[in-house]
Formats: sequence, C-alpha cells, structure tokens
Amino acid sequence: MSEALLTTGAGVTTPAPGGRLFWRRLRAQRAVTAAAAVFALLVLVALAAPLLTALEGQNPNAYHPALVDSASGGVPIGSFGGISGEHWLGVEPQTGRDLFARIVYGARVSLGVAFVATLIQVALGVGLGLFAALGGRWADQIVSRVTDVAAALPMLVITLGLLAVAPASIPRPVLITLIIAGLGWFGTSKIVRAGALSLKTLDHVSAARLSGWGTWAIARRELLPALAAPVITYAVLLVPSNVVAEAALSFLGVGIKPPTPSWGQMLTDANTWYQAAPTYLLLPAGLLFITVLSLTMIGEGVRTALDPRAASRLRVGTRNQNKPTGPIESLEEKAS
Amino acid sequence: MRHTSISSGNVARAAAIAVVLAVGAVACGPEDSGAKSAGSAASGTPQKGGTLSVLNNEAQTDFDPARLYTSGGGNVPSLVFRTLTTRKRASGAEGTKVVPDLATDTGRPNADATVWTYTLKDGLKYEDGSPITTADIKYGIERSFAAELSGGAPYLRDWLVGGAKYEGPYKDGGKGLDSIETPDAKTIVFHLNKPEGEFPFLATQTQFAPVPKAKDNGTKYEEHPVSSGPYKVVKNENDGEHLVLERNPNWSEATDPERKAYPDTIDVRSGLDQAVINQRLSASQGPDAAAVTTDTNLGPAELAKVTSDKQLAARVGTGHFGYTNYIAFNPNVKPLDNPKVRQAIAYAVDRTSAVNAVGGSSLAEPATTFLPNQKAFGYTPYDPFPAGASGNADKAKELLKEAGYADGLTVTLTHSNAKGGPKGPEVATALQDALKKAGITVKLQGLEGNDYNDTVASTKKEPGFFLRGWGADWPSGGPFLAPIFDGRQIVQDGANFNTGFLNDPSVNSEIDEINKLTDLAAAAPRWGALDKKIGEQAVVVPLFHPVYKRLVGKDVKNVVISDWTGVLDISQVAVK
Repeated sequence: MSEALLTTGAGVTTPAPGGRLFWRRLRAQRAVTAAAAVFALLVLVALAAPLLTALEGQNPNAYHPALVDSASGGVPIGSFGGISGEHWLGVEPQTGRDLFARIVYGARVSLGVAFVATLIQVALGVGLGLFAALGGRWADQIVSRVTDVAAALPMLVITLGLLAVAPASIPRPVLITLIIAGLGWFGTSKIVRAGALSLKTLDHVSAARLSGWGTWAIARRELLPALAAPVITYAVLLVPSNVVAEAALSFLGVGIKPPTPSWGQMLTDANTWYQAAPTYLLLPAGLLFITVLSLTMIGEGVRTALDPRAASRLRVGTRNQNKPTGPIESLEEKAS
Repeated sequence: MRHTSISSGNVARAAAIAVVLAVGAVACGPEDSGAKSAGSAASGTPQKGGTLSVLNNEAQTDFDPARLYTSGGGNVPSLVFRTLTTRKRASGAEGTKVVPDLATDTGRPNADATVWTYTLKDGLKYEDGSPITTADIKYGIERSFAAELSGGAPYLRDWLVGGAKYEGPYKDGGKGLDSIETPDAKTIVFHLNKPEGEFPFLATQTQFAPVPKAKDNGTKYEEHPVSSGPYKVVKNENDGEHLVLERNPNWSEATDPERKAYPDTIDVRSGLDQAVINQRLSASQGPDAAAVTTDTNLGPAELAKVTSDKQLAARVGTGHFGYTNYIAFNPNVKPLDNPKVRQAIAYAVDRTSAVNAVGGSSLAEPATTFLPNQKAFGYTPYDPFPAGASGNADKAKELLKEAGYADGLTVTLTHSNAKGGPKGPEVATALQDALKKAGITVKLQGLEGNDYNDTVASTKKEPGFFLRGWGADWPSGGPFLAPIFDGRQIVQDGANFNTGFLNDPSVNSEIDEINKLTDLAAAAPRWGALDKKIGEQAVVVPLFHPVYKRLVGKDVKNVVISDWTGVLDISQVAVK
C-alpha cells in the first residue's frame, strides 16, 4: 500500500488548496461524508465506552456463568448469541461476558492503538524525512539507508520477536503502539524527503534561504505547508493499516493481554465458534471491516480533495477556470 | 531425585502421552462392550477384517518399548507390545484394574512387597514364531536403562535394587542387572529396594515387553520392533508420524483375553490439526468412516455443534482419565505464606466459571479433592473450604480481614499462554473475576508454554500463585499424591512437583506405610484419607477434573472406554 501511495502522492509541487476549499471538496464526495459519519460514530462509541456500558448496566470483564449452556460447551443461551434487554449484543460463549461492553471497550484499544501509532509514525517520518532532505549529504545517506533497511524488514516477524523479549512491566497497549509505530514510519519519511528535496529547488525556497532564513524556519514556513497534502493523505491511510496490525497481533495471541478486550483478540477467541455462535465472530469481524473500509474511503477522499487534478472533477471551487488539461480528463470530456 | 508419577517433564506432556498411549481399555466380554458410548454407531456384532484409521495430532515418536512413556502400556503401543501385566479392557471403573498379560497372574509378592515373582503363560511367541522367554523381558527392562534409549518412566531406576547406578546392557559387559533374576525361561523375579505394593501397575508399562537380544539394534529398533502382540509394524515413517500395523499371524491369541484385534490393518496418521481431525471424523467420508482418534478431544465450540446434532452426538465417546487441575501456591511467597490468604482464595474460587473456561460441564467436572473422583484412586469426597458452585466471597472477605487484609489485597496469578488449555488465560481470567468479588485484585502473568513449565517446576523461580495439573501413571492414589506432597520428593535442581514445599513427617510416613500394602482395595481408602488431611492445609486448591469427549467414525463399533485411560481402546474397536 505504501508503494502505491508513494507514486500517487498528491502533487507535491502544486500548492495545496486552502482549508475551506479542502473541506468543500471533501464534503462534495458523498461516500466520504457517509464514511466519515460512520467513523465518527465509532470514535464516539470508543470515547463513551464507560458511559455506554453504564447505560447498559454491564461491564466488559464480569462473568455470567448462568447465561451459557455449560453442558454444550458454553454456548450462549437464547437466540442470536443470547441477545436480550440486559445484553444488547448477547454474551460471549463460555464466559457469559457481555459482548456489547467488550465491543465498545475493544474499540478503545483497537482505535486508540491505531491513532497513537499513526501520530508517532507521522512525527517520526516527517522529522527524519526533513532531516534527510535538509541535513546535508551524510544525514541523507544515513537516514535513507536506515529507511531502506526499515522498509525491508519483515514487520510481523520482528514484532513477534520484540513482543517476546519485551519486559512484562510495560503496559501491553503502549508496547504494541510503540512497536507498530516504530516499524511503520518509513513511508512518511520517504514521501517527506522526496517532497522536500524537490521543493528545495523552487524559487521561493531559494529566496527564503538567500534572505538568511534558518533551516528550521524554511522547513516550517516553506516546506511543511506544501508537504501537508501528501502527508495527511498518507497518514489517513496509515490508520486502517495500523488497526489491522493491532488486530493481527492480538489475533496471533501476542497482542493485548486478557482480560482487556480488543477486536483482534475477540476475533481469535471467536474463530472456532463460527458455527455454534456466529454473532460472536461476526461482531468484531464486521466492525473491523467497517472501520477499515470507512477509513480507507476517508483517506481516498482526502487524497482527492487535496489533489487539484482529481478535485477538478468534483467541480468544487474551480469556477470553471481550470478546465481539465490532462489526457485522461480530456478523454472524459469527449466521452461526455 | 526424580519426580515419580505421572508427569515426567511436565504434566501436560504426561497427560498427552498418557492419553495418546494409554488408551486401551477393552471390554472383556461382548456384553459390556460399548456400554458407555457410541450408541447407534456401535450397533451390530463386531467382526474381524477391514482397516481402522487412527487420526492423531501427536506422532507415535520413539516407538521402542524402552523409550515409550505410557500409562498402562499405551493405546497403539499395546497393539504391538505385550507386557507382564496389562489394563483390563473394560469400560468405566472396571477398566482401572490390572490383569495378567504375558504372566499367569499380576505378580506374587513376598511378605513386605519388596520381591515380586512372575511366571509366563505357555505358548507365547514373537511375530517370527520364536518363543518368548523371561530372559527377553529382563533384557527389555535393562535396555531402558541405556542413555540412548531414554524416555520411559523413572520408576524402574528408583525401585529396582541397583537401578540408580545401572547404565544398560550395552555398557555392563554382559553382566545384566542383578536385581532381576530369571531362574528359568518362564520365571522372573524382581528385587526392589523398598516395599511397592503397586508393582503390578508398573508391569503394564512397555518396558516390561520382551525384546529378543539378537534383534536389538539399539536406537534403530523402533523402526521395526519385534511384535509380541496382535499386530506387527510394517511401516514406520518419519519417526512415528505414519505407522501401519498388520495382523501378526503368530500372536498367541489363546493367551490374550484382553486384546480383541478385529481390524486386519491399523493405519495411524499423525501430525493432523485438531480441528481437521474432528471435522474428518464428523464428516465420516470414505476411509474416515472407519476412523478414530486417540488424542484429540472435542473443543467447546465443536461440542456445541455436536450436541445439537443427534446423529453426531451418538458417535461421541465419553471418558474419564484421572487428572486434576488446580491452583498451586508457593508458601514461601508473601502473602501466600499466610494460610488464611490461601484459604480465602480457596473460598473465593468460582468453579462454574473455571469449568466453563475449559469447555463447560461436559468437558470438566468441578473438583474439591486433589484425588480424581474415581474409586480406584481412593476418592473420598471432602470440601474443606466450601465455595459452592460460584464462590463464597463473604467467607473469603472474613478470612482476609482476619489475615490483616481488610481492604483487600493484590496478588499475581501466573498462567500459561496456551489458549484454551486448562492452565491458560481463560481459566486465569475466570479466577480473576471470581476473586475480585472477594476484594482480591489479581494481576495476570502469562508465560509461553515451555517457559511456563520450566518456571513453575523450578524451586528457585516458582511463582506464588499459579495454575497446575496432575495426572497419574496408573489409577491409584500413590502416584497421584506422593510427587506433589511427599517432602522427600522436593527436587532442588530439576523438575520439582512438590510446589507447595510440603514436608510433613506424618504425611511422608503415611505414604511409606500405604506403599507397603499389596491389597490395593485396602490401600485406596487410606490414600483418600491422606488426600483429605493434606487438602485442609490449602497448599493447593483443586479446580476441576477434565472429561474426554471423542468422536468416532460412523462405521466404528465396539467402543470401550476405561477410567484408566479415558479414551477408546484401539484393541477393542471393530470396523466391520
């Protein structure tokens, strides 16, 4: 995914649209608006987890042995996995723990880890990318080689190894966030470096340097605003891949430790129950799917809104001045 | 120095081995065969012929009678190796008895049970038609002392006079082990260094199978061990991953009332995923209709599916292998040095949740005694800290208050990371939830499988509060209690199973006294009484006894499941 992004990165040399225009272009894409609404709801649910479970009157770790049929392997009593007024999404097989409570608390872990990991990845990527582009030949050589090595590492294998040797005193969610972040920053770094290198040669940057601006000031005032578009685009697409990474680690049993719920960990517990208690499997699987799909759509929407050529097709904020000029757009004109 | 009883390296391994190898209870008469299970599938008179497939997860590695660690001679091994004594092949409690196999009786002890004499039956032959002699049985036992043929249970080394120093027949210059005498080709006499009333149980293990010296080729013997049983090995691929057994024409059927040997061929395939095994048995298509498994239980989700399908449910065999899963305490670790804290935990446990964590009431039974709930072990019901089905939080709080923890306390529970297992995170979180109600905050510490087993068996690294399991090499109280509670069996360097460091002279001497008894029926209640006495000290908290549920293919008949092994006995199964 990162490779594709690198080549499709929104035009670095074109100035990004202003904030208001960006929002208008984003809103013009209805699917994106819908995806954003869905995603906002998920975030809200995660943030309000204690409130929601209090409203339901349950907590994610309390066992309810009476709600499962012990003689039949612990399958939930009642239809659809024991859905009832007390247990809105039914209960977990074997334990009778409330699935709604586990799902909403699981959202905190799944989304929280993914968000924080993305922030760290972006910060690391931007910092190292700028350092490579502006720090001179040696800095560039070192950072670029480290980036290449990092990109070539088999992430899953390394993660499994790191998790095995990490001291148990570090809280698991923190550890997983750091590992996912530490192994996934190189894409941003490559984009920023490439962008900064080409921006550096532009007249306004040269002018700033000649007027005696320091490196930091140039980076902050001239480079970062122009790099915002590709970085934001990339970052939005990093979130779903981080959601999946956390789920995969928890699925493999090296992620979040019980009894803390996470969607990936719920998936792995549920995978033998697909026939006997399908809702148990479908809930975390469906939510992961919806989360990743909505985030990917938002990411695609952001890319479109920030890319002047793609945005022109949205007919938002162009005032018919920017007639499509690219070959593809011309063809579309003819076709219509 | 060595932990006796069941589990050599670790209990899980021992249980698995016991289960894999030990399945073998056969009904001795057709009238009690299949009584317990396999209802409709087992209908019709069993006939000779056909091929039985065994679909297993674990391979039959080191298929050499010297190297196998079995309970009662194993399941597949018992088809090839006859031993001095064997398990009675009968369903239920009847199958916990020892009966003669190659010998005419289960052994004649001297007055203090330190000398045991056996006489061979007439007409015993190997697969090549040559006669079986006691010299070959002596040689077979001597081989098991060779370092290159390690793997068997440690009892022979511990019990036989001179056993501790003997290094096997390849290094003794032809002298042999003096404590095994063979005055003639039909008589064998064992001299033990202490009274062992349960010697007949030990004589069921494969080390007591005859090995002709002329055919012994050391570590390669496992490729084609010489058969004394109803089947001979015609193929052994990949160290027991694929084993093909065919009828042994020279099997002395008239001398073997235990093994039925209905199928002509037995094809044992291993290395299969457990879900795949259950899926194949449940589908029962093609050759799988005549298939069984000796090592794969139904999981909780599979059980949920099977119980809702009457036809499948009729093909499930239920068995009980003597095994107990429990909470173990290290009284050298604070605050678990305080008996009141241990008792509070004992009162707070929710056995219903713990049972559900391993698959519910069909796959486990709540335990309040350390001894398994079977008469053969000397089971005496008792419940020193009655927690009811779901824990007695009030009583636990009261005890904590007396212990000076009125505001609750925090303890760390160490568990294995093996998911779905009896010592795994599911049981740990169930206990965590139960103890919370009594004001005990439990922090979980999960360790990976091998690390876990090493840590809890090390006197130096042993945690304070952890999950453990124990099963016995044979159905009796001795091998169940002695390794865990005999103070002389605390192993400082190596695998220690007396995790509570119990060293009570009255317990130790009672163990010695019971071991002198050769009347097992008299010994059993004394083991039960000893169990009760130890249980009151709360060095362990029994949680549950596992139950085995195994599917068989739709053409499988004559399913016999003894309480010795808990799994169907291959020597009784028919496919025609």
